[in-house]
Amino acid sequence: MRGGDGGGRGAGRGRGSGPSPGALRAAATAATALGLALILGVAAGTVSHGRHDNATHVARMAAALWELPAGGDAAVTAFLEGRATIGPDEKAGPGAHAYRAGTLEPAAWIAVAPEEPGPGWPLIPTTLALLGLSLMSAWAFARRRFPPPSRYPTLPALPATLLLAATAVASTSWAHRALGDLSAGRAVHGTRAIEVALAHGADPGHAPRVAGLPWATTEGLASPDELWTLPREVAEAVAAAPPSAPAYTVTVGGATYHVARTAFPTPTSPAPPIPQDPTATEPDAANPANHLHLVLLGYEDTRSPAIPLAAAAAAPALATILLLFLLPLSARPRALRRTLTAWGFLSPAAALLLLFTFGPLLFSLWISLHEWHLVDPVHPFTGLANYGALLLDGEWWSAIRNTAVFTLHVPFAMAVALGLALLTRRSRRAVRWARLALFLPGITSVVAIAVVWKWLLDDGYGLVNRALEGVGLGSVAWLTSPDTALVTLMAISVWMVVGYQMVVFQAGLAAIPRDWYDAARVDGAGPLQRFRHITLPGLRHTLFFVLVTSVIGSFQVFGLVYVMTEGGPLGSTDVAVYHIYREAWEFLRVGNAAAMSWVLFAVVFVATWLHFRLLERRWAHA
Amino acid sequence: MTKAPRDVVLKGVEKRFGDVTAVDAVDLEVRAGELLVLVGPSGCGKSTLLRLIAGLEEATAGEVWIGGRAVDDVAPGDRDVAMVFQSYALYPHMTVARNLGFGLRVRGVGRDEVAEQVGRAAEVLGLGELLDRRPGQLSGGQQQRVALGRAMVRDPGVFLFDEPLSNLDAGLRLRTRDEIAALHRRLGTTMIFVTHDQVEALSLGQRVAVMDRGRIQQVGTPREIYRRPGNLFVAGFVGSPPINQLPLARDRQDRLAGGPFVFPGESPHPTATLAVRPEDLTITTTSSPTPTHPHGTSEPPPGTPTHPPAYTRIPPDPTALPPAPPRTPPDPPPFPATVLRVESLGAEQRLHLDGPAGAAWIARTSPAHPVTAGDPVQVSVAWDRTHLFGPDGRRTGTAPTPAATSDHA
Repeated sequence: MRGGDGGGRGAGRGRGSGPSPGALRAAATAATALGLALILGVAAGTVSHGRHDNATHVARMAAALWELPAGGDAAVTAFLEGRATIGPDEKAGPGAHAYRAGTLEPAAWIAVAPEEPGPGWPLIPTTLALLGLSLMSAWAFARRRFPPPSRYPTLPALPATLLLAATAVASTSWAHRALGDLSAGRAVHGTRAIEVALAHGADPGHAPRVAGLPWATTEGLASPDELWTLPREVAEAVAAAPPSAPAYTVTVGGATYHVARTAFPTPTSPAPPIPQDPTATEPDAANPANHLHLVLLGYEDTRSPAIPLAAAAAAPALATILLLFLLPLSARPRALRRTLTAWGFLSPAAALLLLFTFGPLLFSLWISLHEWHLVDPVHPFTGLANYGALLLDGEWWSAIRNTAVFTLHVPFAMAVALGLALLTRRSRRAVRWARLALFLPGITSVVAIAVVWKWLLDDGYGLVNRALEGVGLGSVAWLTSPDTALVTLMAISVWMVVGYQMVVFQAGLAAIPRDWYDAARVDGAGPLQRFRHITLPGLRHTLFFVLVTSVIGSFQVFGLVYVMTEGGPLGSTDVAVYHIYREAWEFLRVGNAAAMSWVLFAVVFVATWLHFRLLERRWAHA
Repeated sequence: MTKAPRDVVLKGVEKRFGDVTAVDAVDLEVRAGELLVLVGPSGCGKSTLLRLIAGLEEATAGEVWIGGRAVDDVAPGDRDVAMVFQSYALYPHMTVARNLGFGLRVRGVGRDEVAEQVGRAAEVLGLGELLDRRPGQLSGGQQQRVALGRAMVRDPGVFLFDEPLSNLDAGLRLRTRDEIAALHRRLGTTMIFVTHDQVEALSLGQRVAVMDRGRIQQVGTPREIYRRPGNLFVAGFVGSPPINQLPLARDRQDRLAGGPFVFPGESPHPTATLAVRPEDLTITTTSSPTPTHPHGTSEPPPGTPTHPPAYTRIPPDPTALPPAPPRTPPDPPPFPATVLRVESLGAEQRLHLDGPAGAAWIARTSPAHPVTAGDPVQVSVAWDRTHLFGPDGRRTGTAPTPAATSDHA
């Protein structure tokens, strides 16, 4: 390394392969520069996209007004005021965004809105990035002159990472502010569009939808169709603001709500003149009872640039760190080549794992920390509130208890499966038939099995009850009584898993050397003693495997419940996964559902850990 | 360990697995206190026979008697036998102490007595420090000892060994072999030992039973088995290097003849096989100036050719029997052979020869007289060192009726 860059390169060439430290350092600087450009580009792109989006939105509002049942022309004229034009299908001009009205007649009518001016490029973050990069380059050049004292100079990764992080944070803040302005503007446009629509006789129940934004009336601050409600804090802030207040923002739980407010006479009152300035609208404030108060919300957190910016920063940061880690290895070209080759082979699997396993996992964790409703575009951060609420949620714990009771079928199924495996041990033909007959349920669709059993166990026409009545026994409410439904499901589950478990046990039994049995027989052990001292210890790993996988599978039961009982009767078969499913896809509370999923994961994890702790350690000694 | 040893008697025992007859009408008597070795090539039914005695297999026909009691309907654990398996079959989840005591525990023997018996066996076998280990933590030799100890603790009337040494390396095998012999001397128990290794069989057994294709071919002391093999199979199976063989056929005068060997007189058999142990061949070479003749006497016996004159007799292998006194019937004439290959094993050297009538023969000779490949030698055999087997493989006799010298000259 002495003699600077030339010496380093010479040494690299002398060994015949591997990049020189200088080249790697340059590559690391390049990766950092690329990362900075990427971050700035993503930030600017996000804001640019927001501006395009806003213009399209305004155009859509105009097109929606055009579709009013009466007075569309006048409404559009009132709304546009130069902000947008509407006419036959023409190419939109530069910087303008068109929206075609779908049911417009003739269909060729189109609304065109210009983009509003705004900050085009994040100047301060760019300055910061350039300054840091030049410092880094100067430092790298100095390092070339003075070789590192350590063989493993991993420290260089630190400034690059810091620079990338600082730029990402600055860009996020810049983009956040710019997008906030856009959201506020959109809320104002929205109130205007609603005013115009109402003034032209639109149904107050539906007309505000021309704004295409979440909205609420001040009467209870809920949306008329009750698809979503305002967070309590927002509702209180809005109620506290004077009716004449112009557009303002309310920040709750990390989400910023842009409020624009208007008040309009109900359709029974005569239509007021169309106001010129929407924020100054205050028609007949003396008699607010005659007016419908609307709160319109622009929102920005759903368009928060934080996640794409973090992603943009993470990739080059990782690349930089990786490169700088490789730096010391470049002194040993063979080790470097081995490392690179290994990562080359690992990277496809690692990428898939990150993308489809760890990604969704972390996303669900993220969701669980928010009040996240599928139709509500605002997802305020609530910390551990979802988890806290779960602690007091009786229905959830009832579902957990049902799941635990359901899991009790596992030891029973294992005992049956082990018995069958022992019975079919001697005869090959019996083994084949037993496998075929018992394995079939395991490979059949759960839904098909559930449907057939539901039919068999039907109270009225089910074959089982018919047969019971036929032999003089009363019929049983297999699936319709809270006392029996869960037990019935457990029995069906035993029937489903016994074949698979039996096959695993057969394999486990076949692996026990015959000599052990022979030795035990010569030692005088009877059949029970041989089972106790040879078979059970010989099967301990198999038993453990089957127990753990079956318990985990049992905690995840869903199909049977979904098809056969839908959690009923009276919630007696409402198991955890089914409960989560309903929370997410019937009540659309995915934040709660995600929290439940993590609690279920914790329960399964603890159960499995206990298995390992209590059983495997005792059984493991061979 | 003071119980009286038991005898084992097999009466027409037969075992068939489907169409395969593993053990074919075996009659065998193992005397009380005897160490009998069952030896044979793999698949000969020796292990099956042992398992029949243990009760692990049920005989298709015949009876098994142990200690004067028919045990065909007695469970293995109640036959008063203990068995050591080739795989040792130690219970992997139990400590050595529990392995040793298992046979007593399942019989309901009290905890203290089990501990005492286990301690005694462990002391005899030197397992004291290993009692708390598990089989997986032991070496092969230690596992073997534990298997032995597990059999000893039971204090059985009969020990059964199913190739217990075959998983050990060569040195350990020799040592363990000695230990088993010593154990037998000490306990005085009946032991039946199965092996495929004929050296092990001869070295260990008081008597040896040679098995082939489900039948017992010969039972006898190791000396009888080796010196007077009852049939061609036993002759060929026992001994290393294997016995030299030469097919004989009737000549025009109805004498059995092959190579230089001509049996005088009419033969009742159309064909026969002559066999000679490698150490019973006498080799004479030209390389040494002092000629000696095969039997070490100063005068060549009648019929020994005088030409070529300058031959050296190489003393046979030291394990060979001392030379018999000269006999009136002349021995077969020496025949010339070429040494194809020489194995120098230190204590002996083995000469691979192109034997009579093209048969590949091996001679064991003293290493004191080195021979090199390609040397021409003269080979001579005394009649009383030859074995003759009829066409059915049975032994028909050793020495022929003396023949006239002129027949050979």
